[in-house]
Amino acid sequence: MTVRSRVFDETLLAVEGISLSFGGVKALTDISFDIRKGEIRAIIGPNGAGKSSMLNCINGFYHPQQGAITYKGVRRSQMRPHEAAEQGIARTFQNIALFKGMSTLDNIMTGRNLRMKTGLFWQALHFGPAQREEIEHRRAVERIIDFLEIQHIRKVPVGRLPYGLQKRVELGRALAAQPELLLLDEPMAGMNIEEKQDMCRFVLDVNDEFGTTICLIEHDMGVVMDISDRVVVLDYGKKIGDGVPDEIKRNQAVIDAYLGVSH
Amino acid sequence: MLYREAGQFKTTYGADQQIFPILQDRIFVLAVIAAALLVVPLFASQYLYTEILIPFLILSLAAIGLNILVGYCGQVSLGTGGFMAVGAYAAYNLWLRVPEANNLIVVFLFGGLMSAAVGILFGIPSLRIKGFYLAVATLASQFFLDWLFARVKWLTNYTPSGSVAVGDTSAFGWKIDTPMERYLFILAFVVVATVVAKNLVRGHIGRSWMAIRDMDIAAEIIGFRPLRTKLTAFAVSSFFIGIAGAMWAFLRLGAWEPLAFDINRSFQILFMVIIGGLGSLLGSFLGAAFIVLTPIVLNQLPGWFGVKMSTALLSHLEFMVFGAMIVFFLIVEPHGLARLWAIAKEKLRLWPFPH
Repeated sequence: MTVRSRVFDETLLAVEGISLSFGGVKALTDISFDIRKGEIRAIIGPNGAGKSSMLNCINGFYHPQQGAITYKGVRRSQMRPHEAAEQGIARTFQNIALFKGMSTLDNIMTGRNLRMKTGLFWQALHFGPAQREEIEHRRAVERIIDFLEIQHIRKVPVGRLPYGLQKRVELGRALAAQPELLLLDEPMAGMNIEEKQDMCRFVLDVNDEFGTTICLIEHDMGVVMDISDRVVVLDYGKKIGDGVPDEIKRNQAVIDAYLGVSH
Repeated sequence: MLYREAGQFKTTYGADQQIFPILQDRIFVLAVIAAALLVVPLFASQYLYTEILIPFLILSLAAIGLNILVGYCGQVSLGTGGFMAVGAYAAYNLWLRVPEANNLIVVFLFGGLMSAAVGILFGIPSLRIKGFYLAVATLASQFFLDWLFARVKWLTNYTPSGSVAVGDTSAFGWKIDTPMERYLFILAFVVVATVVAKNLVRGHIGRSWMAIRDMDIAAEIIGFRPLRTKLTAFAVSSFFIGIAGAMWAFLRLGAWEPLAFDINRSFQILFMVIIGGLGSLLGSFLGAAFIVLTPIVLNQLPGWFGVKMSTALLSHLEFMVFGAMIVFFLIVEPHGLARLWAIAKEKLRLWPFPH
């Protein structure tokens, strides 16, 4: 097994002292970590540890009560989801959030919505600028379709696709935005071994070929330890570990959280 | 056997993105439009024009408008009648007060634009309320607009009964008077409007509507702005509905009162959209045809078979059979007549083979 040892210097996103609670439930308590440009950063932890809440804070869907997030040098305590999208943060969801009534092609085209500018008038005529724009973005989307090997389901409504392919289409929609930071919420949940291998390959290829920084949540420890550069571990909303995979494997607090200890 | 797409290769994205990518579909649609334009005028009677074709076309346009809002953007509306009234009265007031604008195209577009403005206003609550609750909120717009046109006398030019009439309708010097002229004018308008609607729903504006419909949270996270997207849908939808309302008033009724656009009209158009197929422009036409034609056919049917019955019994039977047919179609295909048509086309592609 090859150990990936890459060094990253530039911080893309830094989370500082984030606390988030829903009424009396503390989802996150004073979490700080950073994501460096170009790396694959994993967030792991048992169920209910606050991993998805963390991603929701990063892309502006939840607004933490305390703390701030510095992204590309700009520090802010909260932002709106579409601002995060405009800033180059894209994500996928734990429970697939595709547009079920639309085809694969249309779903991935929606990922480029922030780059499509022609107004109602030209759209109504579907002529001139509107048609040129549509074809230009279609070309970009077709590259993603080729990359993800989903040419055969281009025109199929995504509601009819099997689970593994839906996950792939959702990744395609996120990639279509050409994000700088890609957040993947359990990209391999519920997949069989071949589908997991395919998905790992896509994640690594995205990171290698496009240089996209990736932050992923995953439960399959084999996958996490293999593909991520650094891992942050949450348990009951608190950070209990942060480091390269080999450190995490030997971290007693992490082992206790996963295996349980008698109190 | 005739309906095959084998051998029709697309070499450009433009060719792949056209409205009807299959050659046979293009021929069929052009043939239907040509027949409507050239063949129908050869034999159609006045009754066929005024009771069937004109109502069918105008209500199809209204159904397209409502389908954009309900079927494509997922925002339920019961205010269609009110928006048709806005279009009708805006058009009437322009026609009445600005003699220079005595051109049906100008007048209708003005009605559409005013209706779009009112639609945006009543669409604002849609940011906060969804589903059935939004339906109730739009119902309020229906009642408010009914009240407005009954009570604000300026809008109806101070006629004592609130009933207004238009005469002398023309467009660019073409006097649109006889049923055939009206039919051809409406047909042209509806064809253009349908192409515009199709262009909108297949472009990125249409995708933004469908994204909001299918999963609004995900749509927001990938960068769509919910309020702007929903208000665009309300505006475009009300624009079409307003034009349909102005047409209904000017070319179908000629003289009307606010009751012509009451809540029953809203329900009628909504049923057309649901029976025809949500999220399908073809469905808007099929639904309108079903709702317009079925009562007429049911009414005539006993006569064709020589069965004598009283008018009262006939109209009761008409209601019962019509209701039963609606239930039947919704059970057989909840996605509407447009889906039945799509399934038929799927089968036809393979016919006579099962797979």
